Amino acid sequence: MQEIYFIVNYGLGSKLLKKAKKLGMRGGTILRAHGTIENSLLHLFALDDQRKEIVMMAGPSTLCREVMQKLAQVFHFEKPNHGIAFSLPLFKVCGVSCYPDQEYPKESEQSAMYQSILTIVNRGKAEDVITAANHAGAKGGTIVHGRGAGIHETSKLFAMDIEPEKEVVLILAKADQAKDIIQAIRTELEIDKPGNGIILVQEVLETYGIYE
Amino acid sequence: MQVLQAKFKEVFFSVLPITLIVILLHLTISPVPGAVLWRFLIGEMFVVIGLTLFLIGVDLAIHPLGDLTGTFLAKTNKLWTVLLRGIIVGFFICAAEPDLIVLANQIEQVTQKMMASTTLLMSVSLGLAVMLAIGFLRIFYNFPLYKLLLGIYGLIFLLSIPTNPAFLAMAFDASGSTTGVLAVPFILALSVGISKLKKDSKASEKDSFGLVAIASSGAILAVLLLHLLSPKNELATPVFELASDNQAIWSHFAHLLFHSIKEGTISVLPLFLIFVVLQLISFRLKKREVYRMFIGFGYVHIGLIIFLLGVSGGLMDIGGLIGHQLASFDSKTWILAVGLILGVATILSEPAVYVLTDQIEEVTSGYIQRKAILASLAVGVGLAVFLSVLRVLVPQIQLWHYLLPGYLLALGLMFFTPKMFIGMAFDAGGVATGPMTATFILAFIQGAADKIESANLIIDGFGMIALVALMPIIMLELLGVLFKLKNKREGI
Repeated sequence: MQEIYFIVNYGLGSKLLKKAKKLGMRGGTILRAHGTIENSLLHLFALDDQRKEIVMMAGPSTLCREVMQKLAQVFHFEKPNHGIAFSLPLFKVCGVSCYPDQEYPKESEQSAMYQSILTIVNRGKAEDVITAANHAGAKGGTIVHGRGAGIHETSKLFAMDIEPEKEVVLILAKADQAKDIIQAIRTELEIDKPGNGIILVQEVLETYGIYE
Repeated sequence: MQVLQAKFKEVFFSVLPITLIVILLHLTISPVPGAVLWRFLIGEMFVVIGLTLFLIGVDLAIHPLGDLTGTFLAKTNKLWTVLLRGIIVGFFICAAEPDLIVLANQIEQVTQKMMASTTLLMSVSLGLAVMLAIGFLRIFYNFPLYKLLLGIYGLIFLLSIPTNPAFLAMAFDASGSTTGVLAVPFILALSVGISKLKKDSKASEKDSFGLVAIASSGAILAVLLLHLLSPKNELATPVFELASDNQAIWSHFAHLLFHSIKEGTISVLPLFLIFVVLQLISFRLKKREVYRMFIGFGYVHIGLIIFLLGVSGGLMDIGGLIGHQLASFDSKTWILAVGLILGVATILSEPAVYVLTDQIEEVTSGYIQRKAILASLAVGVGLAVFLSVLRVLVPQIQLWHYLLPGYLLALGLMFFTPKMFIGMAFDAGGVATGPMTATFILAFIQGAADKIESANLIIDGFGMIALVALMPIIMLELLGVLFKLKNKREGI
């Protein structure tokens, strides 16, 4: 089993999902996100923000590989700024009866080229995460807005329960750089102190559309 | 760059229909003088450029500011502090609304100074501010929106019984004017800012909307109360000036530039001050974020000036001329049909409409698509303009003949449409009445009213905005009913 992620420009998510379904995928979930690009002129005019969509799908490894390859062609991931795709090993999929259980991951026996670094921080800190990561060699990241609370964080305002807003930063990094990047984020954002966020690291099986 | 490109494309294609329609009219039934047409085309170009910059700025500065201010208001957890802060912020953004200042001056004029413009301005701002604070409390205490709206509109109906019809029109127009081009994005962001903190995401979706509606109802209440306290029933007729075609094209714009700069600056200033003050006492954003906000405010300011220049320099005259010409035809079918089409096309280039549709997409994660909202809004406004033209043509139709059944329908539909659509629908009412309607369509109606003998310029002119605020509510609620039916059919 695999989970595949596509990160594409805003508005392409539904189209991509439709194509994926034609290729045999059972379904998918689209998240709205935004990313940044490195360009000092655009930064000067504050135009460096890009709206993105993340499409998540899960399925058997062979199917996923095929879908990823085909979609990468259709949406021209080989050209810069046209989007990226990557896949993660998956332990189990529930809710889709037609996919049989599979043993966890045969395919990641050889060590992965890339790692996905998922950093969850308080709202407003995502840019700091990306800045820190870029200093350590990352090539940008994608930000998703979220909401949630650690055990000690929920509070009440008048009659409403409050969950603080969060930002989720997804960064793909080469395995040999990942350590530095994670370390940079950890020190820069003081992740090790309680309440400042968490970092999740996963091994990536395959990638499309990433250039050095 | 992608941001700029995408926004420009979006704006360009939504301004295109109205431009094509006017050119088509020019070539067929309603030729206008060359200078007026050129001014219109240049004006539309300004509108495209201005709107693009303005919308980028809204994303960069106004949205985050609304968000942050919402959290700032909520954070104290003390009832009185929230009320007080809400009132101060509300008063501040409303008192500087250029549309409202214009309306207040008009009202002072037609009431022969019995209702001073400053009194009106102050009371409307206060009304809006109080209702804004009440709207906050509604979100905090999870009080259902439809109950609050029922209460508010019940009160409005009671107050409007002893009111002179002309004032009724002014009151409803005032509510349309208060929710101007900057207030709407800000108030929308405020409510989203507060309600998205909520743990219950279903409630958070619902509560993201409705604040604009509640706030703008404060303006109606204020004018009605003011009228009740100082009744004055005689009204003077203002003079309507038709466009002259002998003015040179560029000097015409140069002439209006100063005015646009002033208006744009007055609109942006209060929000900018709110940002500076709150940044110093509460936000404490980092340097990079402050920089982005400043740049964003720059975009908003420049964009707004260019947009206003385009609208006042290019669109107002041609609207009046077309209305005037079409009304002089023997067959009245033309003006009714053109009114409908103009209404549909104009709403697409209304700045606040983008902000609302964006917000709706954002909050529902794209489930309710912008196209669906835009289509219902356009149909609603088209119908509103159609009905307004009909009212100009048929003197027997009074404004309340539309408003009473219209609002009864709007309130009744609240019980059938999904709860989330209620807030969106009533907000859309305030959103639809922006600078495009207030200039282009208003001039069109006034031009027509000027030609038709039986029509009264004030009464007919004023009520149009009230209708444009009403029809989108009904249409969006109907859209909600449709969504509900569709979901049921699919069995999810």
